[in-house]
Amino acid sequence: MSKQVTLTINGKQVTAPEGLTVADAAKLAGVDIPVFCHHPKLEPVGMCRMCLVEIGRPVFDRATGQPVMENGQPKIQFMPKLETACTNRVSEGMVVLTQSEKANDGQRGTVEFLLTSHPLDCPICDKGGECPLQNLTMEHGSGKSRFNYDEKQHLEKMVPLGELIYLDRERCIQCARCIRFQDEVAGEAVLGFDERGRHTQIISISEPGFDSVFSGNTTDICPVGALTTVDFRFGARPWELKAEASICSQCPVGCNTTLNTRREAKAGGEIVVKRVMPRQNEEVNEIWLCDKGRFAYHYTEGKERLTKPMVRKDEKLARASWDNATKTAAENFVANKKDFVVLASGRLSNEDLFNLKSLADTAGGEAILYSDMDGGELTQLVGVGAGTNLGTMGKGDAILVIASDLYEEAPIWWLRVKQAADRGATVIVANPRATKLDRFATYTIRYSYGDELKTINDFEKKSKISDAFTKAKNAVIFYGNEGLGVTGTSVLSSACANLLKETGHTGSANNGLIGVWQRANDQGAFEIGFRPVADLEKALKNKAVYIVGADPVGDDPNLAKALKNVKFVAVQDIRETATTEIADVVFPAQAFTERDGTLISGERRVQRFYAAVPAVGDSKPDYAITAMLAKQMGVILQGTSASVVFDILANSVEALNELTYDALAQVKEQWPLVGRNDVYYGGTTYDNTKGLGVQLIPLAQAGGAVKISKVRKEAALRPKDKELLAVPSNKLYDLGVTVQTAEFLEQRIGETSVAMHPTTAKKFEAAEGQVVKLSFDGVQAEAVVKFDETIGTGVVRIPRSMGIAIREPVVAKVQVKAAAGKAK
Amino acid sequence: MSLEKKYAKEVKQILAKYPPEHKRSAVMPLLYLAQREEGYVNKESMKDIAKILDITETEVASIVGFYSLYHDEKAGKYRMQVCTDLPCALRGADEFLDKLCGNLGIKVGETTEDGLVTVEAVMCLAACDRAPMFQTQGPDGIKYHEYMTLDRTMELIEALKGGKE
Repeated sequence: MSKQVTLTINGKQVTAPEGLTVADAAKLAGVDIPVFCHHPKLEPVGMCRMCLVEIGRPVFDRATGQPVMENGQPKIQFMPKLETACTNRVSEGMVVLTQSEKANDGQRGTVEFLLTSHPLDCPICDKGGECPLQNLTMEHGSGKSRFNYDEKQHLEKMVPLGELIYLDRERCIQCARCIRFQDEVAGEAVLGFDERGRHTQIISISEPGFDSVFSGNTTDICPVGALTTVDFRFGARPWELKAEASICSQCPVGCNTTLNTRREAKAGGEIVVKRVMPRQNEEVNEIWLCDKGRFAYHYTEGKERLTKPMVRKDEKLARASWDNATKTAAENFVANKKDFVVLASGRLSNEDLFNLKSLADTAGGEAILYSDMDGGELTQLVGVGAGTNLGTMGKGDAILVIASDLYEEAPIWWLRVKQAADRGATVIVANPRATKLDRFATYTIRYSYGDELKTINDFEKKSKISDAFTKAKNAVIFYGNEGLGVTGTSVLSSACANLLKETGHTGSANNGLIGVWQRANDQGAFEIGFRPVADLEKALKNKAVYIVGADPVGDDPNLAKALKNVKFVAVQDIRETATTEIADVVFPAQAFTERDGTLISGERRVQRFYAAVPAVGDSKPDYAITAMLAKQMGVILQGTSASVVFDILANSVEALNELTYDALAQVKEQWPLVGRNDVYYGGTTYDNTKGLGVQLIPLAQAGGAVKISKVRKEAALRPKDKELLAVPSNKLYDLGVTVQTAEFLEQRIGETSVAMHPTTAKKFEAAEGQVVKLSFDGVQAEAVVKFDETIGTGVVRIPRSMGIAIREPVVAKVQVKAAAGKAK
Repeated sequence: MSLEKKYAKEVKQILAKYPPEHKRSAVMPLLYLAQREEGYVNKESMKDIAKILDITETEVASIVGFYSLYHDEKAGKYRMQVCTDLPCALRGADEFLDKLCGNLGIKVGETTEDGLVTVEAVMCLAACDRAPMFQTQGPDGIKYHEYMTLDRTMELIEALKGGKE
């Protein structure tokens, strides 16, 4: 713990850590000093002058170095003028007056100045009701302005900084919180000030505009209504909104969120989600959220939502009762008992997956995880130790990121790793191409696709990089599935686990392995016993399949073909998909916004989400549907409530033993203080009142034997002439069902393009922007060529979920599309 | 052609003046270099500079926006920047500016038809006692012109036409 100093604020003696600003120390002591530009997560700048206070310091005798005494008390010397509480650090014996007549006068004056040109459009402003300027005007404003209203500046009120964030120039008070957030926190300085003095305004000239996946956070910390999101702009008044705690379902980071809901005329009087806001969890997402998490929730809405169970009758799907639908499915599954397969994805909660696994086990079926990535058994074994907090990693620690583009796959992890690098951690980025993390990396390793194992094995040889990793106090490895499928990630995860074991980086906090999974609860699926298979086509062939939360038909023509030749298909999902179209029975499930449950993040934190809106139609939670189906099959499972299922799950899955919903709902005081009534301090981020979750203890920490099976190298693929090695990679905004439905993200999703080294493209006579035909393994596709000088030659990189089915590296034939090809 | 290719030698010389870890400080001289050609910094040059210095285009644009001697819009070959602050005004700067504009047939901020001169009103240039005064900003840099009259100014413009200042 850092050194504490004692000071007096408004006559009250308080202690605070040395180095804290007066504004923060006051906050910690329960005294609110008004601020605009100051934010506890940003460096102080003292731009807005709102926090003017009187500061006095003890006088020291220059000769003796002793404090000068006056009437038995240390003599306090006040500065002749007011000082800013946000730029002055606390010191021993300091005396701060925040509400003296002089201080009040300064604060009142600052508000008056800020309001000289601020529009009076609070009644139509999105921020109205949760606006720091509004609140502080009520508290410190003079009620009347001595300035001439006719001289107010009138500026543009709808300036798109990008297509997601809009700027209202009149409302901006030039506090630069947004600029500083982008520069200091996100490391992407895509906002800036143009001009100066009274003409100062925020600009972004990046392409696309405001080019950052963290852009939404600026609207949370904006102390006025200057920055608004395209999604929430004029959407609702803050005081009409209800708030319910949730967990982001987009990626394995498990960001804590708050769903703001309201009854909506446009939605036929239904209660709907109006916006997704970050909820503070300093060990997971702090007070931030990426734009995908903030904006992509729309997939839980719309006409495509399934509302009634359906059963195929005379070639057509027809509405059926729950009883009829479950009975039909049960009969078929029982009749094909030996061929029963459950195919489920990490979009589901632990409760859902547990019931599915129990059903598969009891009925003698197989439980398959719908994923291109393996290694979950190893994250259970040598995953990060309980107490892991990336926010505490820094100097002396090491983080290795391999085969993953964290910025595209798990943005908040990218942010946290970047910040660890800022604090001095050794960040090693090993990837076959350049990624945005390279800029912050201490070391960058560029290997060729297929050399993942070799790259990890090279850590056994002596080098600067291996030394830095081996000798690090703590070390974490993030591994992903860039260029890899199930088999490749299985090999890579074993190699990573071995490296961690051999270097002693297992079994304690801030040490261990993290899988950068494709879906939010893949880790949970592994914990419960689901496993992916290398050859999914084969695994589905001629089976009776129960598909839950996955769209294999839409994702991959080969899987579509395989599912044509099966005995029976029951599909359970929240939306109509290509897979529900071929189903014999369809079960409508509830979205995560409509029910409660738990997810396990990649850092193995079990976290609760809560029901925020009523369920659509006759849909039911997945675990309940499975229980109904199971009952018809003669298997008794719990389906009454998520917490009941969780209790049984906690009893039977060892890692979760003794966990309860109550334990997951525990909170503790976090710093900085956010939410509550003083939105001006931390922004509109929500305070965490519904649970910080519990991190699981990996086997290595629990004292279990750590056995990692020997790594077998995969046979390398050898493309012939006219062929290329096609490798999958991941893209944040893709055509997956959880993203595509937010129309305003269309531009960010963009067209389907594949990346090649210019030399490779030249060999195939393909120019940048030209359309090429790709064919491999039963897949025919067309895509625009983009150059990437950082990847090896002989390779074509294909993004997953962008319309070209690729689950693992394959050899592809490439042909430049003649004449019809569009040149950009 | 990119700035780095076109002025390879100059860019290298400029960068050599700053420690590599603080190379972003080279933004000012690089902007002057970029501005030399067309009298303003175009978007392409901002991109080039951002790339050279490993900062964002927005950061470069922000600096162009802050300093009044950088311009992001095309103007005449010479910018004639007349100081109109109070002490200059007391010595007739306003009147001078009016007359000048009238004579050239343009308004403040506009450019003469031949594209030679743009007249601008600016803040203090620290030569109050020698007003009316202005500075010209052109391909040869910045020059002060003090104790100016309309006649002397028109003579100067004639000289500028011939390429001499």
